Amino acid sequence: MTEMSREQLLAVVRSVYAESDPVPEGLVERMQATAHDAADDLGMSLELELMTLLEQSTELVGTRSEATTRSVYTLRFVHGQVDLLLRVAPEGERSRIDGWVVPPEPITVRVLHDDGTVLAALVSDTGRFDIPDVPLGLVRLRLEPHDDRAPFVTPTFEI
Amino acid sequence: MSSSTITERGDAGQAPGGVWARSADAFDRWIAGDPSALDDLVRVMTPVLWHVVRAYRLDAELAEDVIQSTWLAFVRRSSTILDTAAVGGWLTMTARREAWRVAKGAGRATPTDEEELAPHLPRQRSAETDAVEADRRRRLWGAVDGLPERCRRLLRVVAFENRPDYASLASELGMPIGSIGPTRGRCLAKLRVALIEAGEL
Repeated sequence: MTEMSREQLLAVVRSVYAESDPVPEGLVERMQATAHDAADDLGMSLELELMTLLEQSTELVGTRSEATTRSVYTLRFVHGQVDLLLRVAPEGERSRIDGWVVPPEPITVRVLHDDGTVLAALVSDTGRFDIPDVPLGLVRLRLEPHDDRAPFVTPTFEI
Repeated sequence: MSSSTITERGDAGQAPGGVWARSADAFDRWIAGDPSALDDLVRVMTPVLWHVVRAYRLDAELAEDVIQSTWLAFVRRSSTILDTAAVGGWLTMTARREAWRVAKGAGRATPTDEEELAPHLPRQRSAETDAVEADRRRRLWGAVDGLPERCRRLLRVVAFENRPDYASLASELGMPIGSIGPTRGRCLAKLRVALIEAGEL
């Protein structure tokens, strides 16, 4: 007698319930409509608003492609009342982003990497956040306020 | 029967690992600005939520309400999910909490769906359904259905969730925390015996 593994037994349970109590017709479509309506209400379906680049440090020019001599640089973006300062520093083969949000407020910051990687950090009470270990390449930062405001994004920049 | 229904069942019948990876991927793509990825996430996870919520003995209408609340909560609070790989667990936990709350509110007045399930079986997928296969499915179902109710509910949640946390499961199913693991083991052992008796092992 073959011993049925835990996974095989759970697979039996799944197949039995998928058959005996199937997902109702149209449920998926109704939930898709629900999710989309909610996203529309929160302004998350439209093209997200872009932060404006105000300043960038001069070290960025000329040194960014030289992996061995990559230097620290800073970027400053603004959107509405939100001021975002970024410090990008080399960290081995990768980079580290330290950020400050002024004035401080609860915001989730996500790094959207060109290669599909998504990394995230939460802005602290003092407005700081850090995202270590970011692969080199083109990135955008997406800022998601924890109130009802729609998320907004920085323009793409290279790290 | 529409092909979309078959697809939904196919998703629900998948091992949770694949479902979890696909939901994380869809969440990543949605955050990165692909609106259609939200459809993908809902398509992958709604069948899982259905089975988890139905384990709380809610009728179809209440179960749909719970799943709808879960998706609304997800869209509104997605910024609080820092680890996008955890989106599947966030969704199932949110759905379980809401299902438990609703089931408690509905009290014992809500008829259990246990009796309702039986007449549905065995379902004919198509005119060509093999009698042998139909017989096998009937015996598999008989093995699961013959388990004590507590086992059926626990195994249904465990089967469709990736790693349900035992603490909340324990309070929701009215069991001591420490007993969830052993109970799951006993329930699986009972199912194994039932399958052997049904000639499926």
